[in-house]
Order: sequence, then C-alpha cells, then structure tokens
Amino acid sequence: MPKQDFVIERYDPVTERSYEQQFTAEYEPGQTVLDCLNSIKWTQDGTLSFRWSCRHAICGSCAMKVNGRSMLACKTQVTDIVDRGDPIRVAPMGNQKVVKDLVVDISNFLDAFERAETWLQELPDQDPPSREYRTDKEEFDRWSHTATCIHCGACYSDCTVVAADPKFLGPAALAKAYRFVFDSRDSKKHERLEFLSEKHGIWDCTRCFMCIEACPKDVLPMDAIMELRTEAMREGITNNHGSRHSNAFRGGVRKRGRLDEATLPILSAGVRLGAIPELIGYTPGALRLLKSRKLIMAAKRHGANREGRRQVRRIFDEVEAEKARSAVDAEAFAAERSSALMAH
Amino acid sequence: MLEHGVLIVGSGLAGMRAALEVSEDPDLDVALLTKVHPLRSHSGAAQGGIAASLNNSNDEDSWELHMYDTVKGADFLADQNAAEILAREAPENIFELEHWGCAFSRLENGLIAQRRFGGHTQPRAVYAADRTGHALLTVLFEQLFRRGVKVYSEWYALDLVLRDNVCQGVVVYDILTGQIDAIAAKAVLFATGGYGRAFQTTTNAAASTGDGIVMAYRAGIPLEDMEFVQFHPTGLQGSGILLSEAARGEGAHILNAEGRRFMEDYAPERMELAPRDIVARAEQTEIDEGRGVTDKKDSVFMDFSPIGEERIRYALPSVLHLARDFAGIDPLQAPVPIQPTAHYSMGGIPCDVDGMVRLKDQNDTPIVGFYAAGECSCVSVHGANRLGTNSLLEAVVFGRRAGRAIRTAVRDLAPTRIEEGDLQRAVAEVDRLLKGDGPERAGAIRQELREVMMIDCGVFRTRPQLENCLSTLKNLQERYQRIAIDDKGWQFNTDLVEAIELGHMLEYAEVIITGALAREESRGGHFRKDFPTRDDQRWHKHTLAYRTDDGPRLAYADVNMQPQYRDPFPLEERKY
Ligand SMILES: Cc1cc2nc3c(=O)[nH]c(=O)nc-3n(C[C@H](O)[C@H](O)[C@H](O)COP(=O)(O)OP(=O)(O)OC[C@H]3O[C@@H](n4cnc5c(N)ncnc54)[C@H](O)[C@@H]3O)c2cc1C
Ligand code: SF4
Ligand code: SF4
Ligand code: FES
Repeated sequence: MPKQDFVIERYDPVTERSYEQQFTAEYEPGQTVLDCLNSIKWTQDGTLSFRWSCRHAICGSCAMKVNGRSMLACKTQVTDIVDRGDPIRVAPMGNQKVVKDLVVDISNFLDAFERAETWLQELPDQDPPSREYRTDKEEFDRWSHTATCIHCGACYSDCTVVAADPKFLGPAALAKAYRFVFDSRDSKKHERLEFLSEKHGIWDCTRCFMCIEACPKDVLPMDAIMELRTEAMREGITNNHGSRHSNAFRGGVRKRGRLDEATLPILSAGVRLGAIPELIGYTPGALRLLKSRKLIMAAKRHGANREGRRQVRRIFDEVEAEKARSAVDAEAFAAERSSALMAH
Repeated sequence: MLEHGVLIVGSGLAGMRAALEVSEDPDLDVALLTKVHPLRSHSGAAQGGIAASLNNSNDEDSWELHMYDTVKGADFLADQNAAEILAREAPENIFELEHWGCAFSRLENGLIAQRRFGGHTQPRAVYAADRTGHALLTVLFEQLFRRGVKVYSEWYALDLVLRDNVCQGVVVYDILTGQIDAIAAKAVLFATGGYGRAFQTTTNAAASTGDGIVMAYRAGIPLEDMEFVQFHPTGLQGSGILLSEAARGEGAHILNAEGRRFMEDYAPERMELAPRDIVARAEQTEIDEGRGVTDKKDSVFMDFSPIGEERIRYALPSVLHLARDFAGIDPLQAPVPIQPTAHYSMGGIPCDVDGMVRLKDQNDTPIVGFYAAGECSCVSVHGANRLGTNSLLEAVVFGRRAGRAIRTAVRDLAPTRIEEGDLQRAVAEVDRLLKGDGPERAGAIRQELREVMMIDCGVFRTRPQLENCLSTLKNLQERYQRIAIDDKGWQFNTDLVEAIELGHMLEYAEVIITGALAREESRGGHFRKDFPTRDDQRWHKHTLAYRTDDGPRLAYADVNMQPQYRDPFPLEERKY
C-alpha cells in the first residue's frame, strides 16, 4: 500500500499549546483524508481529535484545512492532493476558536443563522392550506441550490471578511437568508432585506470568491449575496452605507463611461456556456478590462467545474433579465457583477 | 444535577419531531440532548424519499395500499395496528413539514413531486432531489431554533435510570468538558438511531452504535427483533457507502469475476431489478463461491457502460459523484466494485404506537415516563424488512405521536429523583476506561467484531457460523475488559467516546447473534441457509431478548393483527 506523510496542526486544551506533528499513514487508492486520519487515530495515536460521522459529505462534520484550504476531509481523495511526496498539511478550520486539535467551536458560525432568523416565517393570521402550498417550479429552481447547504462551515472558515469582523453574518447564513427572501411561503421578505442590509450583512462582503471555492455543495454563497444586494436595492432599501456606496460607484462608472464598455460585451455575447472564451476573444476597447489577468483567473476558476460554469451562466442570465426589466437596475446590477469579476 | 420536565435523547428526525411537539405546550420544559450536533444526525444521509399516499403523480394510491405494501414488505412480521397508523397519518405529516418550509421537489403544477420506490406499488415517495433526509433534518432544526428549545449538543447519554419501572432520568457526559452529570426528567424519549456500525460494511454513520438500545437493555428492558438487519446490495466496496437504488433502475449491470451477469441464475426475469434482499444474497453467493472481483475477491462489479454516458450524467449525477469522491473511481471509465452493506436496523426498544416503552410481556407492562421513537424503537412497523422511504416516515409519524403522548402524560407524572448511586455504573465505566492500562486496543477489537459480524451474522447465516460468531464475540468482550485508550484527558475525548460505543456494540451484537441462532427460519432480513424458508407456524412472532449475566434470555410475543379501520391482511407468500 502507498504511504503518505501528514503534518497535523494540533492543539492541547490543557496546556494551551499548539504544535505540529508528523504521521505516516498507509492508504489504498480510493481512500480519503478522513480514512487516513482514522487510521492514524486507531492504530497510532488515539489522542488525535476531529469530528466526523457520515463519511459521505452530507453531515457537515469534517471540514478542516487541507494544504491551506478548507474542505471536507471525507470528500478529499488522498491521490488528488498528493504533490511530489510532500506531506499533506492538515489544520483546523479558520475564523473559529480551536477546542482541541482539529475540533473548533462552531457556535459563532451557527449564531449567524439565528441572528438572520433563517427559518420560514409564515403569513400571519392565516391557517396553512389543508394540503401543500403550491410552489412554482421556476421559483423553486431559483433557491433550491442554496438549500443544499450542509452547514459545514468551510466557507466561513475561509471568508476574508469574517477574519476581520467576527460579527459578519458570513456566507452560509447569508445564502440561507437568500432562500427565505425568495421563498414565496415566507412573509418577511422586506424585513429580512432590511436586516441583511445593515452592518455585518450583505454590503460587507468583499466578493473575494473564497466561499464559492470552499463550498463542497452547490450553494454559491457569494452569488446569493450579490442577488440579495440587487433585491434590496429594488425594494428601495438604500439608506445604508453599502447601497450608498454602490450608487456612488454606479454614478462614477457611468461618468467614466466604463460601465457600458464593461457590460456591453457581456450582454451581447449572450448567455451561452462558452461565452467566456468568446468574450476574451474580443480585443478592442473596454474589453481590455475583461482581459485583465484577474478576470481570466476568475473565469478559469469558474470554468473549472460544473458549478462554476453554472455560476457564470447565471450571471449572464441575470444581467439580461435585469436589463429587460429596468435599465437603471441593470446598470447597478451589472456594475456589481463586473466589479465582482474584476476584483480578482 | 440538572432537571427538565421532558428530556429527548437523540436529535435525528424522530427526536426533533418529538421535541417540537412537546414544545407546543409553552409550560413544558423540554430539552434535547445529542452526541452529535442536530444537523449532523444520521437522518441527514437519507437520499431516496419519504412515503405518503398523496396521489400527486397518480390517483390510485390510498393509505390501505400503502399499509399493504408495508406489511408485505415486512414479511408479515409488522404489527398491523402500527403499519396502519404509519400509512394513515403519512399525508398530514408531509403537509405539515411542507408548511414549515421543507424544500421538497415539485411537479410542474407546483405540487410536491412523487416517484416510485422499491417495494411500493404506487409512486408515493416524496423527495427532495437525492437529499430527502437532509431537507427534512434542516427544516426540523430551523423550527427548533425558532422555538428556542434547549439543546445539549455534543452531550453523550451514558445510562438510563429506572426505579420500579418508572423512569427517573439519564446519566450524561458533556463531551466538551468531560463532566459526568445526571438529568432528572419526568419523561425521557430515546431517539438514538440504529445499530448498523457493528458490521464491517455499512451505510450507517459513525454515530449509529445502538447506544440507546443498549442503555434500555442494561436497565432491564428487553430488545425486540434485533436479528433483523437489512442489507442493501449496492454499497461501495470497502466503505459500504450507499450507491443509490437508481443505478439498478437505470439499467446498470452487475457482473462477477467471469464478467457474467449472474443475476440470470437467481432471478432470470427481473435480473438486476429483483428486490434488494434477493440481489444482496445473489452477490454474497458469488463472492462466497470465489467469483468476487478485485484483489480481495470481496465484491462484484457494477457496470454502467450499458446506460451510456449522456444518460448517466443526466440521471445519475449523484452516483457519479459518490463513486468519484469516495472510491476514486469514474463510472464512465471503469466498473465500480460493490458489496452488500448493512443498511437498516429493524429491531430495537419495544414500544406501543404512542412511543411508550412496554415490555410486551403478558401484562404488556409499561415503563412509566420512558418513550422511544425512530430507528432505535421497534413499534413494529417494519417487521422483518423495512421498505425504503418508510423509515423517515416512521421517525416523523411516531416522533410526533410520542411527543403528543408525552405532552399529556407528563402533567400527571410525579417528580423524579436521581441519587448519587445512580451515577455509579457510568462513573465506574468511564473511570475504568480512562485508567485502563491493559494490552488491548479498542480499534483492533472493533475491527474484529465488525468483520466477524459481517461474515458470520451477515447476509447469510447458519448454525455453525452463528456459533462461531458467538464464541468470537465472547472472546472480544473479554478482551474489551483489558483495553487501554491513549487519551486520558477530559476535554473532547473522542477516544473515550469511541471506546464506550464499542462496549455498546459488543453488547447488542450478542443479542443479534442469539436471536438469529434461535430463529430457525428465513424471513425478511434474516436468512438462515440451513432453514431457507419462512415458517409461520413456529416463527410468526416477535423475539424479545432480556439481559442476564449469562447472556440474552429469549422470550416471544405475538404479532398484532388488529388494525383499527380495516381487516388485517392475512399472511401470504412475500413474492414480487
Ligand atoms: C445512506 C442511507 C440512506 C437512507 N435513505 C433513506 C430513505 O431514502 N428513506 C427512508 O425512509 N429512510 C432512509 N434511511 C434510513 C433513515 O435515514 C433512518 O432510519 C432514520 O433517519 C433514523 O432516524 P432517527 O431519528 O431514528 O435516528 P438518527 O437520525 O440516526 O439520529 C440518532 C440521534 O441520536 C443521537 N444519539 C445516539 N446515541 C446517543 C447517545 N448515546 N447520547 C446522545 N445522543 C445520542 C445522535 O446524535 C443522533 O442525533 C437511510 C439510511 C441510510 C444510512
Ligand atoms: S465572497 Fe464575500 S462572503 Fe464569500 S468569502 Fe468572500 S467576503 Fe466572505
Ligand atoms: S455554504 Fe457550502 S461551505 Fe458554507 S456551510 Fe454551507 S455547504 Fe458548507
Ligand atoms: S463525515 Fe460527514 S461531511 Fe464528512
């Protein structure tokens, strides 16, 4: 059986000491980082502590940092991450207090859901129907991907804003709030958007993409946050720092004439999957912007997997739909979008 | 010492549903205690669906058909009064969950979508894509959060305290701090899940170690029908992780080492689409007779090539992901080795249709203030074999009923008390494990236990195999007395928790083996090669196993044949 070295970041709560420890584990092809951790625990050092339960990426217990990025240990094939015999580095999730070894205190992460009241708030004084509420399939498709969140915290662990502001609601709670904003069974859409527009909410996100990268499911938290911003503006919730900034930005962009340059090709290239390479093929004018290395990186990243492609396509869909509905909104939206892309 | 009016142990679907029901009464003080965070509970792993005769995809379904399918699937060992309630109350439970916001998949007309599922004659599986359990678990947790129910998350229940058949409370262990304490409660509900972890290959999560079942057993309550364990034919080799039933449905072939579709020898007409237990037994026969694949010859191949790439991508995305992520195999490129995998635990703590635990003896003696629901209980709706999508339903329907029963009963219950001595057993056990310095390691004992259970008490059983299994187990139990664990600390000691769980596995495994040895017939999940047919004359009855110092003592109870709203379904051959 092949052997693999692991360097594990450990923490002893009694001595309050952090240290690194190296182990070697045998593994069979097909086995995961979690399998190796368990084999270390069961045959070498029973004190090594971590959480796990389902073994197949559904219970959300086993998120940790593997070679610096947050992911589920049970969903990470050893053979996928071995790199020229280097040890695999395993550490606890970030942005949360370490309890012991790879176990962190998730209460801050979970509190955010409570603060955002992420549960259905029915219409008041109205008995529910004797059968189910009908849910339009289009509406369902709009939010159902955000309901796949397994609350693993990987996004929260890598979020650059949580690192600076522990009160930031964070990607997962915001993505979950998105779901209730767009669920027609919920009665609190406006109140939710008002709350989400306050400090520590949707306007604090720096669109760094980390949550989208970390998420082992289909949630696309950053996307949800961007759509919440548009929806909040559409609902006229503008009396807050974030949306004022956004309006100013929109004005500035317009004056410089950049917005149209930046969005026009997106709009005209249409919504096809392959649109990104095409866009990059446009050379003149403002498209140099889009050709910036950062955008290409973002596009590449997005091109890397199915979710990514879907995300890009959705951006285009949204831009088009917005444009059709209201020119002003579409501009704001596109400005948000393109600056999100260009931020990388 | 802590105290609550009502304590629910276990936060899967059954536990959370019960807690919500109790919390309807604002005067009641209810708390939920769980060894993994509620959102991590095993219920979240359920993929396929939850059954209810809503008639959204057709108009021929009825609760009676649902009940019939359930009773037949159970190989007629289900209690018919319970199966009737399960089927009758299914629709209202689904609507309630939907009103709370559950993300069920939809039809074009906006109604909840339904699909077909093995053993059900009608398309009655309500689902949320391939993550039904996750959607249900999430919505129940949201409601729990909303109502501010007190949750002891990552607390481990160690012991059940009974006095003269009256429940007093539970001895608990705070995993984070290592503190042992007791929670006195007038009513306690166990919803601690199944016991599949005693088998080498299993779909079950790490937490499914039969804790609640063993706590009840040690407190003097018999365990019912523990020998009935369901094996699913399509577990990934090694891990046992479940590959969806849809793989067979879409036309994947199952091949032995000779590359032959061996199902033609076992079920020439239905081939791979034969019922789960028949396919699992066919696979096991091929493996036992040396026609298994891979180096270990312990599995057979599932070949996806007949389906075609486009269709696989469209219809089986989760299978693609599972095989790639958890076995490192791309089904588009290579066949996937699969094995029978322990999937569902039919047996458990005997209780009535309101969750009240009863000894099922001549007087049907109740244990006052003690309730059970979900996979750890044995109502029994699943009898010898549960149908897919019926267990999520059971957890919800009977979780709710138990919650209701508790809500009314608890008003009349006297306050309970826990004494210093009640903590004794648990404290001594933890102390022994922490101080033990013997030569044995828990990991090795667990490994041997799971292997022998899989081989000798698995898909096929014979007297010599079961006797071998029992003597191996006795030896493992002895070795367990001499184990040492590495982690001697108090804080978040998972080494200790795993060792306690191993103790539970060693205890209930003995009940499974003993029940299987006695039951000289084949029915549902229990297949005796030396008694390959069902024997209603002798064995149309439930097993009850009482704990004694010399091992389980067996007694038997009649199967309930008295549904309330219709005539019972008479026994017939279970044929598909
Ligand atoms: C892969 C898979 C797929 C499945 N698919 C389906 C399906 O499609 N349809 C269907 O109907 N059924 C399905 N099942 C079965 C179904 O998921 C379970 O039967 C059901 O979820 C059990 O729910 P529960 O509430 O009884 O227990 P669980 O969800 O197992 O919860 C047990 C709870 O008890 C707690 N607990 C246990 N011991 C202790 C202790 N000592 N102290 C404190 N807390 C404790 C745990 O923390 C957990 O919260 C599937 C099962 C598996 C494994
Ligand atoms: S995109 Fe926003 S929410 Fe996501 S990780 Fe970056 S800052 Fe956090
Ligand atoms: S959004 Fe994704 S990464 Fe974040 S908690 Fe949910 S599943 Fe995990
Ligand atoms: S163990 Fe459940 S998500 Fe990894």
